[in-house]
Amino acid sequence: MPQPLSSKENSLFRQVIRNYEDKQYKRGLKAAEQILKKNPKHGDTMAMKALIINQQGKTEEAFALGKEALTADMKSHICWHVYGLLYRHQKNFEEAIKAYKFALKLEPESHQIQRDLAFLQIQMRDYQGYIQSRTAMLQARPQLRQNWTALAVAHHLAGNLSQAEKVLTTYEDSLKVPPSKTDYENSEAVMYKNTIIAEMQDYQRALDHLESIAKTNLDRLAVLELRADYLSKLGKKEEAADAYRALLDRNPEHPEYYTKLVEVLGIGADGAAQKAIYDEYAEKNPRCDAAKRLPLDFLVDRELITNLGDDFREAARGYLTLMLDKGVPSTFANLKHLYADQSKRDTLGSLAHEYLESKKASSDGSAPADGDSLNGEPAALYYLAQHYNYHLSRDLAKAMEYVDKGIELLPKNVEFHMTKARIWKHYGNTRKASETMDEARKLDLKDRYINTKAAKYQLRNDENETALKTMGLFTRNDSPGGPLNDLLDMQSVWYLTEDGEAWVRNGNIGLALKRFHAVYNIFDVWQEDQFDFHSFSLRKGQIRAYVDMIRWEDRLREHPFYTRAALGAIAIYVSIYDRSQATNGVNGSEDANGDEAAERKKAAKKAKKEAQKAEREAAERAAKQDPNKSKGAAAEPGKKDDDPLGFKLAATTEPLAEATKFLAPILQFSPKYIDGQIAGFEVFIRREKYLLALRCLNAALALDADHPTVHEQVVRFRQALNSKVESLPPKVAEVLKSKFTIVDDTTDLKKFNASFQEKHKDSPPHVISTVKTERLLGADKTKTEKDLAGVLSLKDASYEHAEEVLAILRQWRSGETDTFKAAAHEKWPEVTAFA
Amino acid sequence: MAEPQPKNLQEGASGDVEDEVQNTAKSAEDRKAAAAMASLDTRGDDAGSSNAVDQEAVSKAMKSLGGGPSAGAAKDVKKVKVDPADVALLVDELDLSKQKATELLKAHDGDAVRAMEAFIAT
Repeated sequence: MPQPLSSKENSLFRQVIRNYEDKQYKRGLKAAEQILKKNPKHGDTMAMKALIINQQGKTEEAFALGKEALTADMKSHICWHVYGLLYRHQKNFEEAIKAYKFALKLEPESHQIQRDLAFLQIQMRDYQGYIQSRTAMLQARPQLRQNWTALAVAHHLAGNLSQAEKVLTTYEDSLKVPPSKTDYENSEAVMYKNTIIAEMQDYQRALDHLESIAKTNLDRLAVLELRADYLSKLGKKEEAADAYRALLDRNPEHPEYYTKLVEVLGIGADGAAQKAIYDEYAEKNPRCDAAKRLPLDFLVDRELITNLGDDFREAARGYLTLMLDKGVPSTFANLKHLYADQSKRDTLGSLAHEYLESKKASSDGSAPADGDSLNGEPAALYYLAQHYNYHLSRDLAKAMEYVDKGIELLPKNVEFHMTKARIWKHYGNTRKASETMDEARKLDLKDRYINTKAAKYQLRNDENETALKTMGLFTRNDSPGGPLNDLLDMQSVWYLTEDGEAWVRNGNIGLALKRFHAVYNIFDVWQEDQFDFHSFSLRKGQIRAYVDMIRWEDRLREHPFYTRAALGAIAIYVSIYDRSQATNGVNGSEDANGDEAAERKKAAKKAKKEAQKAEREAAERAAKQDPNKSKGAAAEPGKKDDDPLGFKLAATTEPLAEATKFLAPILQFSPKYIDGQIAGFEVFIRREKYLLALRCLNAALALDADHPTVHEQVVRFRQALNSKVESLPPKVAEVLKSKFTIVDDTTDLKKFNASFQEKHKDSPPHVISTVKTERLLGADKTKTEKDLAGVLSLKDASYEHAEEVLAILRQWRSGETDTFKAAAHEKWPEVTAFA
Repeated sequence: MAEPQPKNLQEGASGDVEDEVQNTAKSAEDRKAAAAMASLDTRGDDAGSSNAVDQEAVSKAMKSLGGGPSAGAAKDVKKVKVDPADVALLVDELDLSKQKATELLKAHDGDAVRAMEAFIAT
């Protein structure tokens, strides 16, 4: 029911809308109140008021008012549109879509609503809905090219390639005059069409189309690359080779061109012929790096087999000498991928030694001429230090020797100190690593890279506060939140993750969860960020980049950053759950837990006090600096964090539900990551979702059937099923029986475990896992603790294994703990964790 | 547009870049300037391209497109009877939404055991 207003109020209403658009919320609110005084039940005005107060951060009030507006005038598209916007603001996209649709039904002519709806649909990947919306928008304004392109994109994303092409062609056919040659939108749209044809795998047609547009297209590089690609896919090898050569003439540093050229020439197996190609370009471009370096990937030394010569050694010698003479700091980083090959690893090491000897002989031990440059002898020392520090060729004593020699030569060089810190890290001495990295930082206070490294090493040494101070040297610190706030704003994921992991080690699970949640939210923001581009990219005509982005967004959380933070959070939630189960079940442990809880409370109180103090200080500082500014920051609504220390997160009553939230994207996007499947099992078995647990278990078994943790999980699963199978729904039990086949219900688990142990008796992680399993199956406690401590005497035991053993012994509250720690300290005196 | 409409929300993620440029403007004049600025790097949205387009051809082209998309969109949904108890079982055991569980069951002719087996095998 329309609610007419007098002309004066009508203009007031228009003013409200304008004020809202200009973010003049106070004025808008005033004007709205004025209308409502005369017409207290005017729905549209109430809706606009709701929208404004929502922007001011009062979401709940806004929703209440929005609902009231709807009851006052339920036939108003404005009210429905506003309701949709409110939902949209809350990220409840499904409800928002419903509200928009209703608004559109009331006012089918509104471009605004149609647009909002369409963008939400593509954001939610509702392709069929998006096609409908885009068709309607095209019908409303067919003269706009972007509407045509947008419909094509809709079909394309929905998987209907031929329809997408048809839409684009239809538009092209309707043009009276051909678009100008500098029309960027046209050039991009035509290229977009070409990629669609190629996606249909009709390469001949794609090639023909490409040839027809090649002359006028503005993206020269894309035309050349696509042409070469189509030619090689069509088997026109000679033409393809010419095309790749043309590309190499443009850019001889692009590795893919070389591999493709070799591929179309069909000389992949012939090392000498391949080398000739690279040599040709190395000669043409004397400063080119790729042509010299890439052959190292495929060249092999054949002297061992025949007497044909050592191609790799010669090529590597040339490259290494050149780089070390020049003093390229990234030389080792450029070559370390070759270390996967044992013989190449050895050759590179001996070449670096040879180089060092020859330099020493010629320089007579005098210091290098120019003070700080990293070429010649120091470059060789730097290379060798990294060589012996690298995990595949590790000899830390030697690494330390070379790095110390380097420091002697160039005491002010950041690189040597940095490498020394890294060597300490590999010794397990996080304290010395952190100190050494900080010394390196002090050598160049303006270098952000070394500053960041120093902070990271401080976090590895569990110095959260110091690290934040270090980071604070390079962040913007004028907001009340200090450096941390800036790191959050800048989405510094690595810092948040490392900080969270350090808090875990420090036992502050509240702050750890806080950080992991921050990372989770950053990924949400990245997903949300695409919203602007649904309209922006179309208007700018950058369709290929847009489609790439949409596809990237669809698998955003496959990034290892996500997995790492999520696994951290899941581990905490699982332990929260286990602790709550323990306190509910066993009385004996309550005492200890009570103590712990009291201590936690005390620590929390102290932390809170400190935080308040810091906040006060920051506010004072800000006020001193600029009185107006601090007021502006404080007045910003909805920005205040009501749980800065993560107490609420740590006090969750549904840890497993939270864990599942973090888990789902890992299982969906990184199913080949075995630690993800292992974590999935831990969550699902606690939730008694046996089918899902089995799904993870089977996936993990398929990835690595001999994985120690997976073995443990197999036994636990069998045990759980044996005791629970009666109470499960029969259909579920049937599936479990048919799909869990590695051990059946008649197997003697102790024997099963013993044979697994026998098979892997020399591998520390397997021994740890089987001893844990033994204990689970009821073996004698003292014996298992002794067995576990025995890991120390295994040949392959590393300090990381010993750290794991120590953690388990602590968890078991074993009497062996201190003895073990002392023994480990004796064996690895440098490791901070045993000190 | 007969009536003025609320524009997009202004928080970062909504609306689009040009709107934001306009929204920060303070007065009518500022707004004009902002609009002019925003259109600097767009190649004549309405006016420009409509000249190049043959209106008649466009409307004809529109017709040729009509009906196409919706026909292509129709999926062949199998008519399978699904036991609500099985749907509930799948929802509970496999953490699925009701809709997904129903689809999964339908894809396996309503056989809950086979549906669950297939699900955990992927």
